[in-house]
Amino acid sequence: MESLGNKLSTLLAIAWLLPLFGFVVEVFAMSWPNANRKSKAAAYFAIFCIGFGFVCSSIAFYEWGEGTDWAAFKAVDHGHSEVANAAEHGEHAATGHDDHEHKAATHETPKRTVFSGTFYNLAQFGNLKLSLDYYIDSLTLAMFVMVTLIATCIHIFATGYMAEELVDDYVDHQVHTHDGGHFHRPGRFYKFFSYMSLFCFAMLGLVLAGNIFQVFIFWELVGICSYLLIGFYVERHSASTAANKAFIVNRVGDFGFIIGLMILWTSFGTFSFDDQHEVDGNVNKVTAGLFTMVRGHDGHLDRSSDGQTVLLKNEQDVNGEWHVRKESDPGRKTITYTLLIVAGLGVFGGCVGKSAQFPLQTWLPDAMEGPTPVSALVHSATMVAAGVYLAGRFYPMFVPEVLLTIAYVGCITAFVGATIAIVATDIKKVLAYSTISQLGYMMLGLGVGGWGAGLFHLVTHACFKSLMFLCSGSVIAGCHHEQEMTKMGGLLRKMPITALTMLVGVMAIAGLAIPGTSIAFSGYHSKDAILATALAYTKLNPIHFLLFLVPLLTAGITSFYMFRLWFYTFLGKPRDQHLHEHVHESPWEMTGPLLLLAVLAAGCAIGGEDGKLFKMLTFSEPVGVGQGVDGAAAHTVSLPGHAAIHASHSTAGSAALLAAFIGMSISYLVYGKGVINPADIKRQAASVHAFLANKWGFDDLYDVMFVKPAHVVAKFAAAIDKFVFDEILHTFVRMGIAVSKWDRKFDEGVIDGIVNLMGNSTYSLGISLRNVQTGKIRQYVTFIAVSVVTLFVLLFALYPKG
Amino acid sequence: MTAEIILFWLFAFLTCAGAIMVAASQNVVRMAFSLVLTLGSTAVLFLLLGADFVGATQLLVYVGGTLVLLVFGVMLTATGPFTRIKSSPADAILSGLIGVVFLFIVASTVTAVNWDGENGIDQKIAMGAHAKAVEGGFNPTQQGNTTRPLGLSFLSLRADRDLKLDLPKESSAETNTAPVVPGVSVVMPGVMPPPKSPVPLSTGYLLPFEIVSVHLLVVLVGAAYLARTKRRATT
Amino acid sequence: MQPTPDKFLFISAVLFVCGVVCMTTKRNGIGILMGVELVLNAANLNFITFSRFTPLGLDGQVFSLFVIVLAAAEAAVALAIALNFYNNHLTIDVDRGDELHG
Repeated sequence: MESLGNKLSTLLAIAWLLPLFGFVVEVFAMSWPNANRKSKAAAYFAIFCIGFGFVCSSIAFYEWGEGTDWAAFKAVDHGHSEVANAAEHGEHAATGHDDHEHKAATHETPKRTVFSGTFYNLAQFGNLKLSLDYYIDSLTLAMFVMVTLIATCIHIFATGYMAEELVDDYVDHQVHTHDGGHFHRPGRFYKFFSYMSLFCFAMLGLVLAGNIFQVFIFWELVGICSYLLIGFYVERHSASTAANKAFIVNRVGDFGFIIGLMILWTSFGTFSFDDQHEVDGNVNKVTAGLFTMVRGHDGHLDRSSDGQTVLLKNEQDVNGEWHVRKESDPGRKTITYTLLIVAGLGVFGGCVGKSAQFPLQTWLPDAMEGPTPVSALVHSATMVAAGVYLAGRFYPMFVPEVLLTIAYVGCITAFVGATIAIVATDIKKVLAYSTISQLGYMMLGLGVGGWGAGLFHLVTHACFKSLMFLCSGSVIAGCHHEQEMTKMGGLLRKMPITALTMLVGVMAIAGLAIPGTSIAFSGYHSKDAILATALAYTKLNPIHFLLFLVPLLTAGITSFYMFRLWFYTFLGKPRDQHLHEHVHESPWEMTGPLLLLAVLAAGCAIGGEDGKLFKMLTFSEPVGVGQGVDGAAAHTVSLPGHAAIHASHSTAGSAALLAAFIGMSISYLVYGKGVINPADIKRQAASVHAFLANKWGFDDLYDVMFVKPAHVVAKFAAAIDKFVFDEILHTFVRMGIAVSKWDRKFDEGVIDGIVNLMGNSTYSLGISLRNVQTGKIRQYVTFIAVSVVTLFVLLFALYPKG
Repeated sequence: MTAEIILFWLFAFLTCAGAIMVAASQNVVRMAFSLVLTLGSTAVLFLLLGADFVGATQLLVYVGGTLVLLVFGVMLTATGPFTRIKSSPADAILSGLIGVVFLFIVASTVTAVNWDGENGIDQKIAMGAHAKAVEGGFNPTQQGNTTRPLGLSFLSLRADRDLKLDLPKESSAETNTAPVVPGVSVVMPGVMPPPKSPVPLSTGYLLPFEIVSVHLLVVLVGAAYLARTKRRATT
Repeated sequence: MQPTPDKFLFISAVLFVCGVVCMTTKRNGIGILMGVELVLNAANLNFITFSRFTPLGLDGQVFSLFVIVLAAAEAAVALAIALNFYNNHLTIDVDRGDELHG
């Protein structure tokens, strides 16, 4: 196991650091001799780096599978083959399903394999150790393979999409200069790829991170990459504003993140996820990591008798199991339950900002100002999913109250995003709101206890959403940077590959499947998993029934607006004839990735919850999730176990499929067939449309709540500065000037007078003494002789008797 | 009146007369001749004072070397009309006045000291331990024969001080001291064993001797450089 | 029987005063040099006298030797200077060399 850990960490470290190397090389690309803005070398180098990273990740995956004997895939599905153990899992029986579906998950689940360790120790302040760690489990591996694969596809796509930057003089038609012309600048092809490489490095570092502080470092690094890439067309006012907005809104979430970090450090004394092994001489010292302290080996939360304090397990017995220290032990650590909630909410606050969750979702649509490959990679597939990833990674630290918050935030986000997407007409904006909505889905899945479901959706969503963004990029490139769907239409014949691959993506996100068979698009499986979990959750906690109904409704809406987008763009008659005539299919380096991603989008989740992807992800599910949590015991809510979730599958699955078909049908009727005129609906529900088109008024609300007050405060501060501090300073300066004037008079009159007097007297004395210097030697000798005689005479006169 | 006294008075007179002539004469050549007279007489006075080596050196270096050099200077510079350069009578009177006062002061200082009397400087005390002659040829200064002690002093050996040579009657640990120089042992024939403790030695003149040697060399080069043939300034 | 030291010292004083007078009156550069020699000889005579009549002993003679040597050196250099002076001014009259007056 030791050697396997070393092998994995080395392979993943190579995959992680290669893009950094690529970034360093590319960022100096224009300094090379023979540098040429028309060369695609930077792109090829970036593709090599990330592609080699994909190879390394795949090898790591294979090695991991061989090393663990493919235990993950052999894992028996908990729902089918388990012998009932009602005594141990009584709460599942309460759901009313027959016994053979329940099982003691802990007994049968293969042991989670986690490889953790330290690459490099950055610094140590007292007990606070800041280091570059790694934490490798099946989730890490799945993320690595997914991120590197999608990033490779998008890099290849970008070589075609960004080809217009391969000029020495790029004319930006969206920026107008004062004299009415367009803005000219050198092409920035290599710069784009250097940013992309830096982003890949940061994203992979985030996934590989072994402690929460390291996560924070790379969290901020992906943030700055996002900032740079959104602002790629920095001369466009909208782009620079959007970059600022994304960065500032994320700061709000990171503020919570930092609060969470401080609480964690104060209470736990470590940032590390996993236990830390230190070899101190011959003694092998093991320090408990965060997860161990909270959950121990069985996922159980130890609380004091009044339930106000959580006892941390930081003592290891001879069997390697962790226990709470005795009360008399000075090393005993505790944390109040409230503080643990606050810490969880704080870290989740960071996820809210990064994953564009309600109420910080406003930055993501604006971020579509960046080039389309950026939207595909950063703002749909990977970076925004990092929030979900962190919530999943940090899952053991979340108590059910926090999970409830997560669920509601996700639920609201999903609904809000979906509704706005209905009225959006910009093709990328539709996809952006769709992304927000789907990220809400993932959060919801995590919040209702579906750890595997949320992350399952993360992976499938990454596939089909990056596909759709790339398709939209292909459309935009084909339509000469026209993004308004109202000007498109009938593009199916002009760009068939793009249209068909887009259709695959649309069907995947809508979650279509053939009823009665196991043939389904990936979105169906992951959404089904989430909805099943939500259904099981509402069965346990009937008061939270909205957590099932709203996502179900959202599933229908999703299907509706995605097909709306497809019908609008590819079917019907061309709305802008001039534009339509110049449309062309994209070159192979753009369509190739589309085809590959289409295959992935359709089939990556084959088998659903019995499929390899889901099994692989749930292999590293935190301990204790499988049994669920009985709310009656200590918590305000209960969480469903695997068995309960499985029981809800058929119901939730058919409901979701039904919703999707309804949404698709309505969409076909309205936009495909034209039975109902959308303009009529728009007129009849004008206020609703305006409300949605105004994005639920969030931007206006924030403007009134934060921006305007900030301006008022700033003006007030400026006034204080100007009229108080400046005045004080001016008074001081005036006083200084007055004093200087007096000082000058004193200087000129007295000091200079004294000095001049001395100088003049010395000068006149010198003039008079000058006459003595005759230059005649004999005279000098005479002087000497006279002087000696005089001295002797004086001597005799003063000391007559010797 | 011994011959010594007669000689003294004779050469004292010659010395003074020569010096006055040097001061009074206006002719450079005569001055040079008078200087020869003065310096030669001084050398005889040195001999009378027991400084035989210094007297000889005075004759050789001064009279034979330096003065010849001066005469050369006279010949090279004081050609024709410039042989006599008269000084003004006012200068002469002023200088003479100063000279007389100066001489008066010095002479009164010299005569004010009582060299022989009860309260004056006691010659015998002043002569100290060097009053007696010793076997081996090391005479006190008073008895002349100073060549060897001088030569040794230039080698940093102070035979006149460190060899306490005494009368045979005196015998004590003190008188048995022999000069002990680290690394060098001077063993005089028929002299006593080494002392029990080293005796601090007087300082010699080796280093000044070396410095003067180098100095002479530098002066030689410098003088040659200064006096080399140059183009004359155009008149 | 020897002459007493005060007689020698008086002769030395006469030599010294003559030297000083020589230096103050002679306009001839060579004459000034001769004055210097007289003064040095006066000093030498003093050294030898005290060497004879006081515990100064051999040190006085050594010093007078050094004086003789340095006087010779000084004479050489001074003569060279006088020659240069003569070359530059076409005379040996030191009163003509007053370029450094104030």
